[in-house]
Amino acid sequence: MSMDIKALVKEQAEAWSGVVPPNAVSEELAAGFASLMAGLSALRGQLAFEDEPSSFEAALQATKEPNP
Amino acid sequence: MNIAIKPPGTLTSLSLTEAADAVAKGETTAVALTEAALAAIAAGDERVNSFIWLEGEQALETAARLDKVPKAERGKLHGVPLAHKDMYYKAGKLSTCGSKIRAEFRPGYTATVIERLEAEGSFALGGLNMAEFAQNATGHNQHYGHCHNPWGLDYCPGGSSSGSGAAVAARFVYAALGSDTGGSIRLPASLCGVTGIKGTQTRVSRHGVMPLSFSADNVGPLARSARDCARIMAVIAGHDPKDATSSKEPVPDYEAALDGDLKGIKIGVPKNYFLDDVDPDVMAGFEAMLGVLEGRGATLVPVTIPHMDAVATYGGVVSRVEGATIHAEWMRRQAQDYAIHLNSRLYASLGIPAVAYVEALSRRGPILKSIAAALFSEVDVFVAPTIRCKSPTLLATDVDAGTPGALDAFNTLSLNTRPINYMGLPSVSAPCGLDSRGMPIGFQVQGRPFGEGKALKVVDAFQRDTSFHRERPSGFAV
Repeated sequence: MSMDIKALVKEQAEAWSGVVPPNAVSEELAAGFASLMAGLSALRGQLAFEDEPSSFEAALQATKEPNP
Repeated sequence: MNIAIKPPGTLTSLSLTEAADAVAKGETTAVALTEAALAAIAAGDERVNSFIWLEGEQALETAARLDKVPKAERGKLHGVPLAHKDMYYKAGKLSTCGSKIRAEFRPGYTATVIERLEAEGSFALGGLNMAEFAQNATGHNQHYGHCHNPWGLDYCPGGSSSGSGAAVAARFVYAALGSDTGGSIRLPASLCGVTGIKGTQTRVSRHGVMPLSFSADNVGPLARSARDCARIMAVIAGHDPKDATSSKEPVPDYEAALDGDLKGIKIGVPKNYFLDDVDPDVMAGFEAMLGVLEGRGATLVPVTIPHMDAVATYGGVVSRVEGATIHAEWMRRQAQDYAIHLNSRLYASLGIPAVAYVEALSRRGPILKSIAAALFSEVDVFVAPTIRCKSPTLLATDVDAGTPGALDAFNTLSLNTRPINYMGLPSVSAPCGLDSRGMPIGFQVQGRPFGEGKALKVVDAFQRDTSFHRERPSGFAV
């Protein structure tokens, strides 16, 4: 991935939330998002559910323990 | 008045249910239990640092008042001193949330779970140490000092409910509330050798509890045994009109279901994800635990849990974005008041786009249904090591100190717990051995939604045949 993730996060955090990098460590952690982005990318096209959208609370009820 | 029949020296070794039952039978008093707890704290907490604040005199006054309550008016926890992670609001009392930002915060109202515990006759000695705003898995706290593991003072007690795990392990209190967004009850339970439960998402009210993640926060106890946890869950679970997200599902009598009989119970043993790269010591404890469950009549069934890549990826997105949202205003105004690692995590999380967050949330229900269809058609519960590695030291996981490899060690701790929060399942962690250095090893049992009772029943059955939950670190008052 050729994009500068540090710059991407910095732009988004400042533009949308008004938060600037508090220290150098924060920018290193932002760079660590490469693995998260790869994880999300890998999921594309892998999941298809017939019942989307559906609520999580409804799923809890639908799958609950029959003999609690 | 001190009418203790049990010698004071043995009082701190009682479990929560044993202590409550002893008070009920007149074998001891709330004052005697409190004096014993305060003596243990005075003797040991300088080393452990499990309390942020302590109100011993007030606790003794409360205990004396409780000892005068007629027996007919007493509740299930009458006279038992507790203490809670310092994020449960009680009107007028300090609630630091482990932070500098809330160092002087005194809320004007009381958490529903605290009201429910007090209605059953328990009371709190003080506020327990915790990760700053419940946001680390290790027990580090730059503002109030790191909490130490009573089993080995150089080791992580686990977080974020670090003081809760350490105080119960050191026999300072009989139980403590923690909170669990990615493992924060189960991690300290595992590392400190105690028993802890997070219920099904929505099972326990969060009114008056410091938020970290609206979608993944859970309230639950750490205590000595599954029976202790069952008693507390029966008190705190159930719908709360003040928390619209709390479930209206009826609360069963968890304690009554603890019969030790696992015949007919099918226990899933994951073939994927949860046993990846597990330390040999941890694996040995886990496998020995499986043998005990089989001996109690359970059938072990190898299972493959679907969608684990999605669960692991989405689970991190949800809690991070919600946490960053909650803290954005403080991040704008006083980012310097957070520890370095925390404000760095919060800052970075602001870079996760809304579409990723909504994708993670929108898939949560369908993924749960798909997992349940594949898994719970075959088994009643599934088990896993709570933590894949042996207990790390505080130094090895100190990201703020710049220890090389600390971030990886930090992230490894919650690999097996965080996915359970995304699934929303109930999960109980309990000790199942000691590693080669004498540090506790834990396992966790997951049930279907609202299947807390079955998960507790499995752990209780294990604890009937083993004594790991009764073992205690040396060097602390008996």
